[in-house]
Amino acid sequence: MSDCETLVNPSPEVKVSAKARGGVINPMYDCQPAGAQYAGIGVTDCIPLVHGGQGCSMFVRLLFAQHFKENFDIASTSLHEESAVFGGVRRVEEGVMVLAKRYPELRVIPIITTCSTEVIGDDIEGTIRSCQKALKAEFPERELYLAPVHTPSFKGSQVTGYSECVLSMFKTIAKEKTQPNGKLNIFPGWVNPGDVILLKRYMKEMGVDAKIFMDTENFDSPMMPDKAVEVQGQTTVEDIMDSANALATFALARYEGGTTGAWLEKTFEVPNHLMSTPYGIANTDALLRKISEVTGKPIPESLVRERGIALDALADLAHMFFANKKVAIYGHPDLVIGLAEFCLEVELEPVLLLIGDDQGSKYKKDPRIKALQDKVHFDMEVVHNADLWELESRITKGELKVDLIMGHSKGRYIAIYNNIPMVRVGFPTFDRAGLYRKPTMGYQGAMELAENIANTLFAHMEYTKDKEWILNTW
Amino acid sequence: MPMVLLKCDKDIPEREKHIYLKAPDEDTREYLPIANAATIPGTLSERGCAFCGAKLVIGGVLKDTIQMIHGPIGCAYDTWHTKRYPTDNGHFNMKYVWSTDMKESHIVFGGEKRLEQSMNEAFDEMPEVKRMIVYTTCPTALIGDDIKAVAKKVMKDRPDVDVFTVECPGFSGVSQSKGHHVLNIGWVNEKVGTLEPEITSEYTMNFIGDFNIQGDTQLLQTYWDRLGIQVIGHFTGNANYDDLRKMHRAKLNVVNCARSSGYIANELKKQYGIPRLDIDSWGFSYMAEGVRKICAFFGIEERGEQLIAEEEAKWKPKLDWYKERLKGKKMAIWTGGPRLWHWTKSVEDDLGIKVVAMSSKFGHEEDFEKVIARGQEGTYYIDDGNELEFFEIIDLVKPDVIFTGPRVGELVKKLHIPYVNGHGYHNGPYMGFEGFVNLARDTYNAVYNPLAGLAGVDIRVPEQVAPILLREAA
Repeated sequence: MSDCETLVNPSPEVKVSAKARGGVINPMYDCQPAGAQYAGIGVTDCIPLVHGGQGCSMFVRLLFAQHFKENFDIASTSLHEESAVFGGVRRVEEGVMVLAKRYPELRVIPIITTCSTEVIGDDIEGTIRSCQKALKAEFPERELYLAPVHTPSFKGSQVTGYSECVLSMFKTIAKEKTQPNGKLNIFPGWVNPGDVILLKRYMKEMGVDAKIFMDTENFDSPMMPDKAVEVQGQTTVEDIMDSANALATFALARYEGGTTGAWLEKTFEVPNHLMSTPYGIANTDALLRKISEVTGKPIPESLVRERGIALDALADLAHMFFANKKVAIYGHPDLVIGLAEFCLEVELEPVLLLIGDDQGSKYKKDPRIKALQDKVHFDMEVVHNADLWELESRITKGELKVDLIMGHSKGRYIAIYNNIPMVRVGFPTFDRAGLYRKPTMGYQGAMELAENIANTLFAHMEYTKDKEWILNTW
Repeated sequence: MPMVLLKCDKDIPEREKHIYLKAPDEDTREYLPIANAATIPGTLSERGCAFCGAKLVIGGVLKDTIQMIHGPIGCAYDTWHTKRYPTDNGHFNMKYVWSTDMKESHIVFGGEKRLEQSMNEAFDEMPEVKRMIVYTTCPTALIGDDIKAVAKKVMKDRPDVDVFTVECPGFSGVSQSKGHHVLNIGWVNEKVGTLEPEITSEYTMNFIGDFNIQGDTQLLQTYWDRLGIQVIGHFTGNANYDDLRKMHRAKLNVVNCARSSGYIANELKKQYGIPRLDIDSWGFSYMAEGVRKICAFFGIEERGEQLIAEEEAKWKPKLDWYKERLKGKKMAIWTGGPRLWHWTKSVEDDLGIKVVAMSSKFGHEEDFEKVIARGQEGTYYIDDGNELEFFEIIDLVKPDVIFTGPRVGELVKKLHIPYVNGHGYHNGPYMGFEGFVNLARDTYNAVYNPLAGLAGVDIRVPEQVAPILLREAA
């Protein structure tokens, strides 16, 4: 049995390598403009304008709708053939004016380039200057921020695109340092409303004044008696301006918004704390302790208790159900690394980590991946530039046996057709209800994730009649 | 007057030419909305791109074919897991998508080698699959990669494979419609006539423009089996690549979706002399009429009448039950194009529903000729409707249910209006006799939905209660 083999592995190894194939079978991530659009919708009174073919925004809107079960406003310059030949800057100018006229509340338009408009070489910065002239003439009293977001689809992925758009919006809006505001800037990365709500609660319980960038709490929005449509981010222009005056920045995701923390430090001397993404107990501990240290606010009893409740729940699951179970994890890099760390806390064995874009040189240097080498007692493989075929083919060819898959819904068929329990986590999770509402970060997130894993394994035991009687007396 | 300038369009007055309100005693030919015209940038149009018209709508339906998308990752990611077209071989078409994952170096130095590598890898990884469609995308078209030459080389190196190429980047045309056209014409010119079918019936036809949404094709196939008609090629629901190479041997082309697939029917007529017969497969009256026309062509009227009688005996009482409860209800249809004219009269005749507003994403003027002829007076007919227009139209016509996509469905939910998925269906199939009962059932369940009434209640106002809905057992 594998338990014994595990115990005697004399030199457990973490192997980090890129996928060997050039092409992709079943991608893990969407392209850069998709990530940029996700960052854009996090801002209040903001409609991203995607400069490219109509599909570049239409399908991304559909993707967001699939995940959040909400509609988000994203516009397109609707690049047609003549623009592809003669340049498309006129389409940007027209698009900006149409948006400005028809949406009087609008305050921010990130102008997001795509592969086509980067190949054509449209001058976005120059176009923004001419747009601003036209806007001043039409609306002398109105300030409309136009952020240039260069996100050619042939570089990076939705992860880098998200980071790029956050940075560009901050560069465009946060112009000067005025009065210190004593607040924290928190960049959680590309997370669900459930995580944003959790982080806000933690800060409130600690008595810390903090702004979450991007504040996506309303991506879970209500049906109200007055039929109000409230589906938009809650990060305001003022919040972004004021970020320059913060006490400190906490970047919780190295690859998603982390660059903006560094920029705020360089430009406005706001100290930047790049933290391990707070998945699992220890990462959350480290975050809260650091926040306490920076703000001088003690960690409250309520969070000590919440931590205790989470540990109490995890202890019921870890060595009875999770120990020695082999797990494959795929998704966004900060999520995958954080989940791997969480798995080790609850005795799960993450044997395969898949990270899906061309940023391998960064991942190889990631101290968290290096640190895994000292933590594992089994062999772990980290594949970057990976696709989902890396997971599927290892399983179908018999090279890999896993007891659990953790990842987003795009890999659902691997689990379904190979009869492997799967826990949906990350983005997108359109084949399970309500996951966007649940936290994955923090103590509560760790507990809920572990319970989701346990219930998934339990249901699998029952459907496959595999020692399901154990649960009689659990 | 009959052309309408909505309030939200005051700054884009050209939209007046795209919105028609049908009035009594008008020569409707004078008031055809402009269609298939360039999109206005920044309007939040609903349109997709030409690439998706080819890949997502038509080519990607094929159940045995690798869909190799030559471009950055997003074009593959975005046209995967967004359609509901099952197949009888385990949904190979929905499980996988392939991309050459173009990177900057390929943009600079050309991507043909990358394409060749990706094609060979795909065939190597799935050795049982021998057919492939290669699509170009915006950047690979702009840099001028010769995908036909690469396909030829791969076919020469691998004599047992066959590859079809589609050169239709996202920026071509003004909507997905262009992609339908390119794929249709390419297929008939390059692939039809390259294989001979085994003829098993003296009655042979192609069934064109039906994509097996939730099993439409498979349901209709039971009719053709009962009538003894051999379908040579289904274009493209549940179809094999090779079946569609044999379309030249059918005696009749039956066309359902004339917008996406009328082109191939016309070419088959021109090149091979096969007559074209257009039918509507949605709706009781229309389906019966379609069966009668097809049977009349083959001189098997009696078989047709028997099938219609059997189906009506089985399904008409159920349909009438729903009609009794749906008559007088108001429906809006915001879909691609042809479903406007397929559905407006069938829901009116078969279910007593009044269609009060219709918007088409990619319909042409001939689609508007059809829908305005079939549709009612007092109804809005909109080309390329956008989000603000939808809000205004909803206010004007107050629909009880909207047939549209899931994203717009999420939007109208906030307005307490239920939606039925007009693209992928809620619980289909919707074609044929049984299918239209499914459509009626889903419409009933949407309209008689207690939640919409509850959503309108403000619990702070004591006298407000939800309206009592008399739901009955169907």
